[in-house]
Amino acid sequence: MKDIYLMFMRHLKKSLRQPIWLILGLSQPILYLILYMPLLKNTGVGAASATGEIVKMFVPGMLVIMGMGALFAGFSFVDEIRQGIIARWLVTPTGRVGLILSLVLNQILTLFTQSCILLVIALFLGLNVPFMGIVLTMILILLIGVTMSSFSYAISLSVKDEGVLASITNTVYLPIMLLSGIMLPISLAPNWMKNMALFNPFYYVVEASRSLFAGDYSNMMVVKGFAIMMGFTLLAVWLAVRALNKMTA
Amino acid sequence: MSDAILQTNGLSKVFTSGKGKKVKKVEAVKGVDLEVKPGEIFGFLGPNGAGKSTTLNMLTTLSTPTSGKAMVAGFDLLKHPQRVREQIGYVSQAGGADTFANAYENLLLQARLYGISKPEASKKAKELVERFQMMEFADREARTYSGGQKRRLELALGIVHQPKLVFLDEPTTGLDPQSRAYFWEEIKRLKEDGMTIFLTTHYLEEADNLCDRVAIIDHGTIVAVGTQLELKRQIGAESIIVEFKGEKDTESAKVLFGSLQFVQKIIAQENKLYLYVQNGEGLIAEVLRMLDKEKIAIQTIGLSRPSLDDVFLQKTGRSLREGKQ
Repeated sequence: MKDIYLMFMRHLKKSLRQPIWLILGLSQPILYLILYMPLLKNTGVGAASATGEIVKMFVPGMLVIMGMGALFAGFSFVDEIRQGIIARWLVTPTGRVGLILSLVLNQILTLFTQSCILLVIALFLGLNVPFMGIVLTMILILLIGVTMSSFSYAISLSVKDEGVLASITNTVYLPIMLLSGIMLPISLAPNWMKNMALFNPFYYVVEASRSLFAGDYSNMMVVKGFAIMMGFTLLAVWLAVRALNKMTA
Repeated sequence: MSDAILQTNGLSKVFTSGKGKKVKKVEAVKGVDLEVKPGEIFGFLGPNGAGKSTTLNMLTTLSTPTSGKAMVAGFDLLKHPQRVREQIGYVSQAGGADTFANAYENLLLQARLYGISKPEASKKAKELVERFQMMEFADREARTYSGGQKRRLELALGIVHQPKLVFLDEPTTGLDPQSRAYFWEEIKRLKEDGMTIFLTTHYLEEADNLCDRVAIIDHGTIVAVGTQLELKRQIGAESIIVEFKGEKDTESAKVLFGSLQFVQKIIAQENKLYLYVQNGEGLIAEVLRMLDKEKIAIQTIGLSRPSLDDVFLQKTGRSLREGKQ
């Protein structure tokens, strides 16, 4: 436990010395919020096309996008692998699980800060949701963050190359994002797309957060969303730890 | 029981790649037996790809051996890797200093990871900053350091917990001669402090000047172990090196000298022929006379006392000095 804290403080210090990452991760969803969301008002999407309803439908997707952005956590990690920093830690008595968890925790803190900033902006744009809905959604988003950052670390450890990591990440990121109804609900999609979305875990998460924002806590989608995300969280962390154990300098 | 601080028996590593029918197995290290005595500087010599790094990764718990046994700093490497980690220090070739932290922060975290208390750790960090003369730049982030400065910090990181045994992977690669000399002195000081040093290198001067004993690894196998003097004695007193204009001449000269009694061993490499003899000075004239008689033209001829490179050449058929592989 002490090791996790020591490592986490180190990662935090590094993050604070490069605040650019916090801003970069935020810029995309904020741009969507400001330059894309207004278009929806006149398309007839969303229950009543009232601004409040549109924000309520759109913001969960943006939070999920930020959560998925943790997939890019591997980039600075690959650099640390190459510099031998990770190998140096692996030769100390530090636990492997703790090492991964400290990294994930730092990502989660960044994600939490970004989500809060986004929510504050959304409040100004007319977001009105029950507090409980926000809290539960936030937990879901943080689980996405754990999953995506762990996957990213696992991939980084096996490829050890920014270029390969970038192509894998980009290949996975876009289809998953589009097929989860992040911009617009999948309910608008043709049947074949709806069927495909059923195989995308993030579809459930986006739907779950929309239900939560609507105050519909007992919706089956919420249960499915949480169950799926917890499963993926465990799988991803396990893969990352395994990759770390198999890493050689 | 031996009193060795490091002992390996048949240590092997096989890398498997591919799947199904296309499985490819590469034996990177094939049954290495090593013994390192407490308090010595042990050099592990070999060309790139010989299995140096793979062996080092296994000994530092970064990679699990495919087979074989090893006792490292008093603990069984396979059964108690965690105990081994507590006992050893390691400085990788990449170094591993955290470039976004300054020297103090780097040292402090490293010490804390070894379970040293906070006040103790900061005391240790200050000590090491002074010992490795880092006062001038220790407050700056490590990404601003020169190669030599960063390397100093990395050596300090490797010994922050005063390990019994320190592994240094190519500690002076890429350094200028002045920094290299500085590091040799520092490594000798570690020995004086009672640490055992296991270092890999492909610099022969480094092995010659710094190490008490060396092992040469080639193609995953140890081909020679001993003090530099022992190894040099094995190959004869002196060598006559004759350089020819082409490989054809080298080959015919090799045939010419191959059957002579006074030649203990003969090696041809590209345009050069190495004749290992007892009394080089007395034989140069004879060699020249024989070549002249056969009308084989030479470029240069020289005499040298055997160096570690000669040992290397004899054992592996390649020269480390010229090998740019």
